[in-house]
Amino acid sequence: MTTLAVATDTFSVFGTTATLLVGEPGTIAIARAIADAELAVVDLACSRFRPDSELSRLNAAAGAVTSVSELFAELVGAALRAARLTDGDVDPTCGRALARIGYDRDFALLQAAAPEARAGQSRARARRPGRVPGWRSVQLDRGRRLMQLSNGAQLDLGATAKAWAADRCAEIIAAETGSGVLVSLGGDIAAAGPPPADRDGAGGWGVRVTDDHAAGPEAPGQTVTIRSGGLATSSTTVRAWAVGGRRMHHIIDPATGEPARSCWRTVSVAAASCVDANTASTAAIIRGEAALRWLRDAGLPARLVRHDGAVETTGGWPHDPGPAGQT
Amino acid sequence: MRRDDVRYAAVARDAGIRRISKLTWRAGAVGVACSALIAVAFGHHTAVQQPKTGNGNAGHPAIVIPAQPPAPAQGAGQVTSGAS
Repeated sequence: MTTLAVATDTFSVFGTTATLLVGEPGTIAIARAIADAELAVVDLACSRFRPDSELSRLNAAAGAVTSVSELFAELVGAALRAARLTDGDVDPTCGRALARIGYDRDFALLQAAAPEARAGQSRARARRPGRVPGWRSVQLDRGRRLMQLSNGAQLDLGATAKAWAADRCAEIIAAETGSGVLVSLGGDIAAAGPPPADRDGAGGWGVRVTDDHAAGPEAPGQTVTIRSGGLATSSTTVRAWAVGGRRMHHIIDPATGEPARSCWRTVSVAAASCVDANTASTAAIIRGEAALRWLRDAGLPARLVRHDGAVETTGGWPHDPGPAGQT
Repeated sequence: MRRDDVRYAAVARDAGIRRISKLTWRAGAVGVACSALIAVAFGHHTAVQQPKTGNGNAGHPAIVIPAQPPAPAQGAGQVTSGAS
C-alpha cells in the first residue's frame, strides 16, 4: 500500500476494538469525540448486558407496550429491515436462544467463566431449542415510538447495531470535519468522505480481510481497498465457546434456535453501507451453500471461506487464489 | 341534380370521416406499440439501485451494492475486517 499518511486512533468499545482512520490528521481528536458520544448512546440503547439499556427494559416488559427513544426505534428499524431483506435469516429475536446457549453476559466475562459453570448454566437452560419467535413478533410504531414484543420474543441487535453505529459515526464525522474517515468497530467497517489518494490518484482505505479482526494486519487473508460504503465479516471461528464439550458460536440460525452449521467459516461482504454488508455476511453464514447464488444474484461483492480454507468470491470481489489458512 | 350533389357530398364526407377515424386508430395503436417497445428496451434502468452510503439505506427495499467493489491491494491493510 502506498496511501498517504492518515491519523489513527484505537480504543475499546462494545467489548471489542474500535479503530478510527481520518484522512486529515488534524481532525482525529474531534473524530474520536464524536465517536465516543455516538457509541455511548448506542450502547445505552441496545446493550443486552446492561440492565439500564432500553433493550433490557423492553425484554423485561413481558410483552407490554413500551415507549422507546427515537434512536432505539431506528436501531430496531434497521434490524427489522435486515430480517425482511433476508427472509428472516437475520432475525433480531434471537435473544433467548443466545442466553440459552450461555451467551448471557459480555463475551469477556463468558470466556472467563469456568467451563463447569457454563455447562451448569446451559443444562439449567436447556429447554427445547427451537425456532426463534421471529421478527414478525416485534411491533414497532415509529410515529408514536411504541414497541411491543409478542410470543415471548427477546431482542438481540448484535447482527446490526454495531454495523449501524459504524455507519452513523462515519457519516457524522465526515459531515462535521470534511475529512475522509474509516470507522471500524470490531471489523465492521464504514467509510465516508473523500478516501485517501495514493501517488497515482487511485487509493482508498486498505483493509485486511481475515477470520478474526484482532488477528492483525499480517493475518492469513487478503488485502483490498475500499473507497466508500461498508465492509463486514461474519465468522463462526470467533466469539465461540464450549459448553459441555459442545462448541458454540454467536450466529444463531433462527430456524433451529441453535448456532448455525455452515459450510462457510468466514464470509466478508462489501455493500453501500456497513449495516447492509453485515446483514449479507451474517445471512450468508446461515444460508450455507445457497448463499453463493444469493450473493451473485444480488450483485454483492463477497469473499466466502470454507472450513478447509478454500475461497469463493462473488460480485466483482478481487480474485483470491487462497487458501485462506486453516483454523 | 341538386339532390344528387347533396348525396354525393354526404357520401364523400362519410368516407372522409371513416378514413380519419381509421388513421386515428392506427396512430394510437402505433403509439401503444412504441410505448411497449420503449418500456422493454429501457425498463431495466428503473431497477438499477442507486448506490447510497450509510444509514441512508434505511428505507431501501434491497441490500444496496457498493458504488464500486473492493479493489485488489498488496501488503498489510490499515485495518482488519474479521469477526469480533
